[in-house]
Amino acid sequence: MKLEKLARAIMFTFAAATVSTVALAELSDEVLAERLERMQQEMDQLKEQLGKSATKEEVQLIKQDVASTSDWLLPDTLIHMSGYADVGYIETESTDGSFNVGTFAPIFHFQYRDIVMLEAELEIEINADGETETNLEYLTIDWFVNDYMILVGGKFLSPIGQFRQNLHPSWINKLPSAPPGFGHDGAAPVSDVGFQVRGGFPVGGIRTNYAIYISNGPELMSEFEDGEFELDGVEAEGFGADNDGKKAVGARLGFIPFVGFELGISAASGEATVTSIHEGDNSLLGREEARDYDVIGGDFSLQYKAFNIRGEYVETEVGADTGSGASASEGAIWETWYAQGAYRISQSKWELVARYTDFDSPHNSQDQQQWAVGANYLFANNFIGKLSYEFNDGQTESDADKDRFLFQMAYGF
Amino acid sequence: MKTKICTGIYNNGKGIILSALLVVTSQWSVALDYPEAGNFSQGSKVWSENCSRCHNMRNPTDLRDGITSIFHMRVRAGLTGQETRDLLTFLRGVNAKSTHTRLSTEVLITEVAEVKSTISGERVYKNNCMACHGTDGKGSFSGVPDFTSADGRLSKSDSELLSNIINGFQSEGSLMPMPPRGGNSRLSDENLTAALEYIKNTFAD
Repeated sequence: MKLEKLARAIMFTFAAATVSTVALAELSDEVLAERLERMQQEMDQLKEQLGKSATKEEVQLIKQDVASTSDWLLPDTLIHMSGYADVGYIETESTDGSFNVGTFAPIFHFQYRDIVMLEAELEIEINADGETETNLEYLTIDWFVNDYMILVGGKFLSPIGQFRQNLHPSWINKLPSAPPGFGHDGAAPVSDVGFQVRGGFPVGGIRTNYAIYISNGPELMSEFEDGEFELDGVEAEGFGADNDGKKAVGARLGFIPFVGFELGISAASGEATVTSIHEGDNSLLGREEARDYDVIGGDFSLQYKAFNIRGEYVETEVGADTGSGASASEGAIWETWYAQGAYRISQSKWELVARYTDFDSPHNSQDQQQWAVGANYLFANNFIGKLSYEFNDGQTESDADKDRFLFQMAYGF
Repeated sequence: MKTKICTGIYNNGKGIILSALLVVTSQWSVALDYPEAGNFSQGSKVWSENCSRCHNMRNPTDLRDGITSIFHMRVRAGLTGQETRDLLTFLRGVNAKSTHTRLSTEVLITEVAEVKSTISGERVYKNNCMACHGTDGKGSFSGVPDFTSADGRLSKSDSELLSNIINGFQSEGSLMPMPPRGGNSRLSDENLTAALEYIKNTFAD
C-alpha cells in the first residue's frame, strides 16, 4: 500500500515537472523575444540619445563660452536708478550747530534702445521742522535724434553756466555748499520748463557742445520795504505754466580746444512779470506788465595733473516796469561769480579746496563775499567726506555776514 | 520790439520742433542695431578725457550696468553718438571676463624674446594704454603713475609689473584702479608682455 502511494506520488511529480518544463519552455521563447525586441528598442534610443549628447570636448567648449559671455546682452528697454545723497553738520557763527540730512536725490532712467530716454530726479529733504519736502528737480524725455542732436523736453536744469547742470550734486561739488548766487533765488537760473536741443560735435580739432532752449521763463517777486515796492528776486525754477505768456530763449556753447580745458558762454533773454509779493497781498498786482529779462554768463574749467581750477560768472538783469503796475517801478541786477581751485595731494586720498565768491543783489542784506576753504577725504571716487569753513562778509548782523563751519558726507550712487 | 523778437523765436521754435520730428521719422536717424559696436581705444580715450571735466574719475567696473549712465552722460556732457558707442564698447571690454589661460610669470618672462619679434607692443600700448598713461608715459590725469620717474613704477620687477597688468592694480591714492589687462579682455598675456617691453624701452631712463 505504501509502495503504491509512493509510486503515485513519484508519477504525479514526474508528470507535473514534465508539464511545467514544457510550459516554461514555451513561455520563455515569447518572453525572450519580447525582451529582445524591447532591448533593441532601448538600444536604438540610447544610440539616438548618445548621438545628441555632447562630448567632453564639446562640454569644455560650452563652459568656455559661458565663462566668456558678458552680461551685456540686453533687452531693448532698460530701467536704471542712480543719484546721490548727503548728510552733515552745520554750525553758523553765534548759533548752535545742527546735524542735518541734506538731500536724498534719486535719479530714474527709463531707456528704449538708443532712441529715447526718460530722466527724472527727485529732491527729498527734511526741513528744520522735521517735515519731508519733495520736489521734482527735473523730468525730461530725451530724444536721441542723431549723433549730434538730442531733443530734450520737460523740466530741465538750466543750461546757463556749468554749476547748475553739471556740478551741483553733492558728490561732485567739492564744497558742501553752493557758491552764493548759484542756489535757489540767486543770480543764476535753476531750471526751466520747455524744450531744448543739445549735443556735441567736433569742429576741426576742437570739440564743442551746445544747448539751445525755449521755455516758460521765470517769474518775478517784489517786496514792500521802506515804504515802497522793489524787486525781491527772480524765481527761475521751472514753472509748469506760463502765467504771463512770455517765453524765454537761451543757449550755452562750450568749447574744448584741448584736453582738460573747457570754455563756455551762455545767454538767455525774454520777458518776465511780477506775480507775487514777498509776505504781501498779491491782489495788488492786477496791472503788472512784462519786463525785460536778460541773462549772460561765462564759465571755464581746467584740469591739469592734480589741479582742478574752474570759475563762472552770471548776471541777471530785469528791466523797469513798462506799464502801470503797483509793484517796483525800477529794474534790478543780480550778479555773481566764483573761482575755485582744488588740489589732490599726491599719493593720498586728501584733496584741498578753496573758493572765492562775490554775489551782488539789489538788496544789501543779500550781498555776500565769501572765502570757502576745505579739505576732502575721498573714501572712494563717489564717496566723499568734506570739511569746510566759510569766511562770509555781508551786511553787518545779516545772515550773509556770519561765518560757517560745515561737515558733509556725500555719496553718489 | 523785444516781444516781437521773442515771439518770432517762439514761432521759429515750433518750426524747429517740427523739423526735428521729420528728421526723427526718417530712416537714417533710427539705429538699426543696438547697441552698435564702437571702438575700444577711442572709448578709453573718451573716458579719460571727459569724466574729470566735472567729477572724480569713476572706476569703469563701477558702471557694469552702465548703458543708461552713459546715455545720461551723453546728454550732460554733450558727447556725440559715436563717442557714446565707443564708451560702451570700452566698458563692455573692461567688464568682460578674459578667455585667455593665464600663464605663470616665469614662463612669460622667458617668452619675451620670442614674442617681441612678432607682436607690436607699441600698437598694444597706443590702442589700450595711452589714453590713461599718455603719449609721454607721464599719465593723463591725477593718480596715474609717471613711467619716466627714475624711482617710479618701472623700478619694480618685470614679473610684478606683468602681474599688475594682467590682474589689474590699485595705485596708492589713485581713485581709478587700472583694470585687468588694461580693460581689454581680448589681449593675451603675450600681447601684454610685449606692451610692457615697449613701455620699458620707451619711457624708462
